[in-house]
Amino acid sequence: MLSRGSLSRLWLFVHATFVVVSCFTDMEPGSGVGVSSQPNGDRFKIEGRAIVPGVKTHDWVSSARVLVEGEEHVGFLRTDGSFAVNDVPSGSYVVEVVTPTYRFEPVRVDITSKGKMRARLVNYIKTSEVIRQPYPLQIRSVGPHSYFMKRETWGWTDFLMNPMVMMMVLPLLIIVLLPKVVNTNDPEMRKEMEQSMNMLNSNPELPDVSELMTKLFSGSKGSSKAGSSSKSSRTVTKRR
Amino acid sequence: KSKAVAMAKLILLLLNWIFLCCNVAAVFEDQVGKFDWRQQYVGKVRFSHFDSHMQSSKKVLLASESNVFAALNTRTGELFWRHVDKTGPEGNIDALLQHGQDAVLVIGNGHLLRSWDIGVGGMNWEMVLDPGSFRSACLVGHQGAVKHLAVLKKTVISLHYLSNGHQKWVENLPESETVDFQAVYSGGNGEVYALGVVPNSHLAIVVYSLEDGEITKQVSVEAPWLSSIPASCSVISRGLLTCLEMTQIPLQTLGLDVDPGFRPSLVSHQPNPAHPPLSEFLLQLGPEHHLLLQHNDGQIVTLRDYKPALLASFATAGEKTVVAVMAPKNKTACSINLFSAETGRRLLETTLIFTVDPNGGKPEKLHVQAFLKKDDSVGYRVMVQTEDHTLTFIQQPGRVMWTREEALSDVVTMEMVDLPLTGAQAELEGEFGKKADGLMSMVMKRLSSQLIMLQAWIAHLWKLFYDARKPRSQVKNDVSIENLSRDEFNLQKMMVLVTASGKLFGIDSKTGDILWKHYLENIPLNAAFKLMVQRTTAHFPHPPQCTLLIKDKDTGLATLHVFNPIFGRRSQVTPPALPQPILQSLLLPLMDQDYAKVLLLVDDQYKVSAFPSTKNVLQQLQETASSIFFYLADSGQGRLSGYRLRTDLSTEQVWEVVIPTETQKIVSIKGKRSNEHVHSQGRVMGDRSVLYKYLNPNLLAVVTESTDLHQERSFIGILLIDGVTGRIIHEAVQRKARGPVHVVHSENWVVYEYWSTKSRRNEFSVIELYEGMDLYNSTVFSSLDRPHAPQVLQQSYIFPSSISTMEATLTEKGITSRHLLVGLPSGGILSLPKMFLDPRRPEVISEQSREENLIPYAPELIIRTEWFINYNQTVSRVRGIYTAPSGLESTCLVVAYGLDIYHTRVYPSKQFDVLKDDYDYMLISSVLFALFFATMISKRLAEVKLLNRAWR
Repeated sequence: MLSRGSLSRLWLFVHATFVVVSCFTDMEPGSGVGVSSQPNGDRFKIEGRAIVPGVKTHDWVSSARVLVEGEEHVGFLRTDGSFAVNDVPSGSYVVEVVTPTYRFEPVRVDITSKGKMRARLVNYIKTSEVIRQPYPLQIRSVGPHSYFMKRETWGWTDFLMNPMVMMMVLPLLIIVLLPKVVNTNDPEMRKEMEQSMNMLNSNPELPDVSELMTKLFSGSKGSSKAGSSSKSSRTVTKRR
Repeated sequence: KSKAVAMAKLILLLLNWIFLCCNVAAVFEDQVGKFDWRQQYVGKVRFSHFDSHMQSSKKVLLASESNVFAALNTRTGELFWRHVDKTGPEGNIDALLQHGQDAVLVIGNGHLLRSWDIGVGGMNWEMVLDPGSFRSACLVGHQGAVKHLAVLKKTVISLHYLSNGHQKWVENLPESETVDFQAVYSGGNGEVYALGVVPNSHLAIVVYSLEDGEITKQVSVEAPWLSSIPASCSVISRGLLTCLEMTQIPLQTLGLDVDPGFRPSLVSHQPNPAHPPLSEFLLQLGPEHHLLLQHNDGQIVTLRDYKPALLASFATAGEKTVVAVMAPKNKTACSINLFSAETGRRLLETTLIFTVDPNGGKPEKLHVQAFLKKDDSVGYRVMVQTEDHTLTFIQQPGRVMWTREEALSDVVTMEMVDLPLTGAQAELEGEFGKKADGLMSMVMKRLSSQLIMLQAWIAHLWKLFYDARKPRSQVKNDVSIENLSRDEFNLQKMMVLVTASGKLFGIDSKTGDILWKHYLENIPLNAAFKLMVQRTTAHFPHPPQCTLLIKDKDTGLATLHVFNPIFGRRSQVTPPALPQPILQSLLLPLMDQDYAKVLLLVDDQYKVSAFPSTKNVLQQLQETASSIFFYLADSGQGRLSGYRLRTDLSTEQVWEVVIPTETQKIVSIKGKRSNEHVHSQGRVMGDRSVLYKYLNPNLLAVVTESTDLHQERSFIGILLIDGVTGRIIHEAVQRKARGPVHVVHSENWVVYEYWSTKSRRNEFSVIELYEGMDLYNSTVFSSLDRPHAPQVLQQSYIFPSSISTMEATLTEKGITSRHLLVGLPSGGILSLPKMFLDPRRPEVISEQSREENLIPYAPELIIRTEWFINYNQTVSRVRGIYTAPSGLESTCLVVAYGLDIYHTRVYPSKQFDVLKDDYDYMLISSVLFALFFATMISKRLAEVKLLNRAWR
């Protein structure tokens, strides 16, 4: 039910944007889709240049392509990085330079039926929003693609700052230091502590999972799975 | 105790956090090439050109029928660069002309001229030509330099500069309504000749001046026998047009006999466009008969008669021109020899042996690379193209430098088959099979099999030791069919690929090596293929068996090819002849006594035949006939109908759904994969109740598209139909949307992708089906007894790219979370967690949704390059993604095929069942040792302390 509501809201939203879109599209009647229906219409050329700062064009143009709306129209890069995609009917297209090494942001190009061009930022959510880009296109690479995750390298600082380790070390410190700071043999102090513990455990909604965990930990005596955390927790209970 | 509780809570929170952060399927940099490989192809070669402008050049240019233009390294056969154009006639390569560093392509029926710098692989220029269908193109040289090229179209001829593509002149062809201009020629004398023919009447030659395009001469020659210039005429010597007259009389006067029923053809050679062609030319008179002729003062002299000769081809090195002739030697080999073009004399020590693959096709084309040796004699290498699209590059005296199986650029369907067990493993397995033996013999058998295993293990250790002493480069991975065996986790499998050309391949999934190939001849051009695994390797004494159904799409007539998927050999089992057109084929889970699954074939009379059709099978079929249902779809009439099998193997129609063809058409029907497992029956909600999934194995997702393509009225529809009862479970319509629609149907969900015409973007939509909070019948699912309609949830998302294909990951038991593998036009394969396509993603986060780990709804799905499973190894034109489970639950094997083939492993929930390959053994062992010593020391210290206390 929830999803239907959200969907209809999305539709409403899309609908609202369409009104704006149609304001723009009325000056370009055969936009986008009517490609197959009007094969004899005028064809235009999308031009531009792709730049990878600091890298010679010869090193990357051979693996690059210009894709207009998926693979609907395909262009290739010249040896100087410039490109032209021929035979594009009027409409609105997302133009993308793809290479396996460098990343380029896509640009939306609108072509009116008279051949007037303009380029703007791609925004799939607000499709009618116009943030102008230069035309002929100047597409600058935003850097190389990052395909790989970083391996977790191991260092002492990482080890010590690891939350699990912190979790192990801090209670240990408390166990070692607390008896020295407060005298646990004092009955008043003990009462106070118990009260504060009850305060902490005030939420009755959640404990089923956590209880399960503690049961699991304390129940599996000597099992290696429980690990060091259970050990420390057991020491806590024993101490009290 | 409360402290422990608090800690447990903290751990839980942390686990949650870790789960959310790390649930990405990314590749680590050191894993590159470890589990994955890619093979890049070009397609069936149409034009090839050896780059000869530099002596040391090792490039060969290839233009293929798949609209790909590439440069290969002749030493290794690998790609230097490759440019993939649009598919279809718009990207079709009509001609390839090369001069120096530039290669010019005529593309799309003469629509575009494109010039490439072959050194860099970048484009020099691109020119749009005037409309008109393309006829011919040639380079035009003048005074020893080539600066222009001429393009002949049906009505115009134009001349372009090679340097920038600009038009020098364009002229209309005279009388182009009657004269069919077919060829253009230039002999380097400042003139361009356009050759045309009026069929069965005369030949027209128009001569243009190179400078301004003026017609300097117009000749008409009576030639009532001529119909096509490129087929029967060619220019030789100084502008002499030689034509073949089909009536054979002039040929006979030369004393030449043409093989009956063969169309002779002429081949001339022009080494340099700035000079006229040679006066020698080749004439093919029969399938195995070639002649080298020479024109000399108006006389035609036979220099050499090659018979038998399969192929002959010219090549030039420096000033010398040679003819390479391939002659059949015996059944398995051909010999290639070089002859001097001027004299026709055989050159010494130029024999080269080409071994014909018995599982391949016949040689079809000979591409010769000739070069001058140090002693000024001519050396050569050849690239032989065979019928099965294979390229073999051979050096003297017959060493194969490389082979490229270009048929693999067009994989149609594939399967992955488990490798067989080794002898020892099979022995062990066989032990559990029989139980009739006595105790003593069982013990003996066990001991003997243990011995065999020990022996194998020692042999393995010895091999490891032996290999370790040798340098790394010498250790060959000697994968061959004989020593292939299943690995521990069944990660290595045999990939059986079926290509459109009819060539079958068996590829080792670990290395990508082609282990066997088999070329099926006489495959119809528009054949549809369906590959089925009838028997796996699990039934040891019986060999595994695959069946390929080849169906001619026009006539519907089908043939079966039964083979062993491990060795590629045709099986001894003779498949039944199928005289009737086949409508549908189904692989039943029933097995015959030899453990082969039963294949049912439905013909156009709605009669069913079984393969294998032994008595045992027929009996089983009779017993289970009442529970065998199947469906037929006729997209032409928009009819979907369900049938039931009767005991006498006839059929009975149970249901029919008609989709009106005037408004919409059926584009695809997707059922669920039969080898898919679903582990959990339901989903645990935030409040600890269970939402049960609607897991109907008979559910079909039918996709329809509207026939009206107007952007305001077009729509796509999704119908979920039960395949047994014909009941429509759900229907969804997406207005203002059009295809192509990509669908994935699995578990209890359907994901589809379409183009939204209103917002001009690609959108994903997901439908999930749930039974509700309680299950009707939890033990077994029956389509006939499911009274409640499922709850349907749907949500849509924006996707920032168009897609090429889509598939879901598949694992052994279905415990691992699912990912969608999306092939993008950029060549990346995106692994998108199904978690993002969940209709229960909330708009407003509540405590319960957080408890369930639902991601809050966001309209746009994001493409992260870290999620590309193939990092920078892009796969061009992905047509299909095949997923197969491995023996490890966490691991799914993926093959993406298109122009390239890519194989890798994916771990949708990370590797939870096996130690990761970066597992830090050093750390764990050092920590263990440290702890061990720490306990030793602390024990000692404690003892000392106790002693001290006791003394006190």
